[in-house]
Amino acid sequence: MTSVPLVSVFSADDSSKVTAKHIPLPAVFQTPIRPDIVSFVHTNIAKNRRQAHAVNPQAGMQHSAESWGTGRAVARIPRVSGSGTHRSGQAAFGNQCRKGRMSLPIKVWRRWHRRVNIKQKRHAAATAVAATGIVPLVLARGHRISQVPQIPLVVEDKIESYEKTTDALNFLKRFGAFEDVQKVVSTKVVRAGISKQRGKKYRVRKGPLVVYFNENAKLLKAFRNVPGVEVVNVTRLNLLQLAPGGQLGRFVIWTQSAFAHLDKLFGTYRYSSIIKDGYQLLRPLITNPDLARIINSNQVQEKVQPAKTTKVLHEVQKKNPLKNTKAMDRLNPYAKKQRVAAAAAIKANTKGTKKIKKNKALKKASRAAYNKVAASLNDATKAAVQEEQDIKVKYFSVQKGAAQTE
Amino acid sequence: MQIDEVVWQVINRGHCSFKIKTISQNFCRNEYNVTGLCSKQSCPLANSQYATIKEEKGLCYLYVKTAERAQKPKELWEKILLSKNYEQALAQIDEQLKYWSNFMIHKNKQRLTKLRQMLIRIRKMRLKGFKELIPIKKKAERRDKIREQKALVAANLENAIEQELIDRLKNGVYNEIMNYNTKAFEKVVGQNQMEDEEEREQQELEEEEEDYSDEELIFDPNDLEEDDDEEDQDDEEDDKRLFQKQTFNQLRRDNDEVKDIKKKKPRVQLQYEEEEEVEDRKKQQIAF
Repeated sequence: MTSVPLVSVFSADDSSKVTAKHIPLPAVFQTPIRPDIVSFVHTNIAKNRRQAHAVNPQAGMQHSAESWGTGRAVARIPRVSGSGTHRSGQAAFGNQCRKGRMSLPIKVWRRWHRRVNIKQKRHAAATAVAATGIVPLVLARGHRISQVPQIPLVVEDKIESYEKTTDALNFLKRFGAFEDVQKVVSTKVVRAGISKQRGKKYRVRKGPLVVYFNENAKLLKAFRNVPGVEVVNVTRLNLLQLAPGGQLGRFVIWTQSAFAHLDKLFGTYRYSSIIKDGYQLLRPLITNPDLARIINSNQVQEKVQPAKTTKVLHEVQKKNPLKNTKAMDRLNPYAKKQRVAAAAAIKANTKGTKKIKKNKALKKASRAAYNKVAASLNDATKAAVQEEQDIKVKYFSVQKGAAQTE
Repeated sequence: MQIDEVVWQVINRGHCSFKIKTISQNFCRNEYNVTGLCSKQSCPLANSQYATIKEEKGLCYLYVKTAERAQKPKELWEKILLSKNYEQALAQIDEQLKYWSNFMIHKNKQRLTKLRQMLIRIRKMRLKGFKELIPIKKKAERRDKIREQKALVAANLENAIEQELIDRLKNGVYNEIMNYNTKAFEKVVGQNQMEDEEEREQQELEEEEEDYSDEELIFDPNDLEEDDDEEDQDDEEDDKRLFQKQTFNQLRRDNDEVKDIKKKKPRVQLQYEEEEEVEDRKKQQIAF
């Protein structure tokens, strides 16, 4: 990027006031976004908080069960010794058995924690910080930031001296961050599953993350009780907080000094980090990620060869030229003219021949004869119909008369 | 512009809180989406240059987003009021989105059309009214129906009506003889006749004690029988009236003693100061 984007620092008391205009963005925010690194690092780092647990090693094995061996018409699984109870003779020990021990019972010496290369962890953190400065990513993660004046949100150091929760709340309200807090409050749900009996009763969303710098800052206590809000020192930025669930784009509120410290923390593209010894920010593979633009740019299109058209060797289905006129025309372009000429010739020929005339005459004559017969038949049928009608009329009138006389 | 590609990759491949996946299609829940579908072209997050139409209180607004304001979510969307005239609104869209991609312009016009049609429909429904569809709740319906039946049975309508009619008869609402149900009539008549016989028996026993008190207003059927010297003209009327009273008595007694069949049960002898206790009682029977 040629020009460095600029960021305003807002006054803590008044969201419309800007105390410092146009501070350059720390280089971290221009790190390439690498969700793959973040995902990998997150899954491994998330395991580091686990506490060892195990299944009771004796579970399911507290029997003197022995297999009955062959010849007893039962499966060879070890069976509980003894008698006098239902349990005797039942299968034991196997993972498939009822009351048997599980297969591969969990041991305490399971490898609970994962180590991740420092560089990878640092890259992940840097990417996560960069993602907090991209509005669409923060929105996509689900934060309600439509009323926030600026992302990344940088506020003067005054908030570090907040002691009262009311101050903290009012501050959040002023900067449009309260909507996010409200989201957290309204979506607090009792957890499904047994965990609720093990100290994790509620499932609570993540709200804004407030990042400060001075160690004596009292704002931790002020923001502690606001649901969803987390407070962290810049020097101890945690990937698990910056990208909760491995998802980039946490809504972060920076104090001015914390923001300024980022350059020292992560370094820039000009110098490596001071604090993270020898750490150099990840460089992108391509500086301009807009591939479509690149491909369609003049510089590229100039050099590019014309697009290849697919060459059709032959039809998918073979057409018979003797039957299919188009196929014939393709093979023999003159065939069309030949066909036309032949047809014309036939027509010309047939017009004047005697035979044709004779046939015509015959046709005419036969047609006439047919018509005559048809006509006479017609007349006959008509007469017959008429006769029938007369009879009917007479008959019914007679009937009527007879009825009347009666 | 620069970041759009990256954003789309992250959102599409990864997780987007606005994306809704169905078997055939992906939808976008974002309020600013023009089409409502989840695709790169219509994603309001993955396009730094974007426009939508939104409707507020019957008016259509064009919301425009440009790359310059990308970092300021509060000022991101520019809200432009569109003309109420459809064609003018289309022209406005053309003007505001000049040189934008055809896709964006076309989709915005489509959305405008759809919203306007919706508004027309809303107005029509408000004016004409519409049939509101109410779901039939099977369980509730079944329950109510059964309860109605039970209530009907519990109400004892026939008995209540009978009571009401008898009360009215007593109160003298009906002046003349009414057409009774023959069965009820005969039943009442039959019982009345029995009653008469009873009364006559009682009277024979206590003939000496008869005394006409000052309560001449009380009509005594026995009196009528003795007074045969009265005019013949009134005979029929009197007979009618007699009959009426008798039936009335019967109905009243029926009312009092529904289950008691034996009429000759001993009555409670109340101690009055006067000697003519029996007579009074008789008279009280008749008086209503």
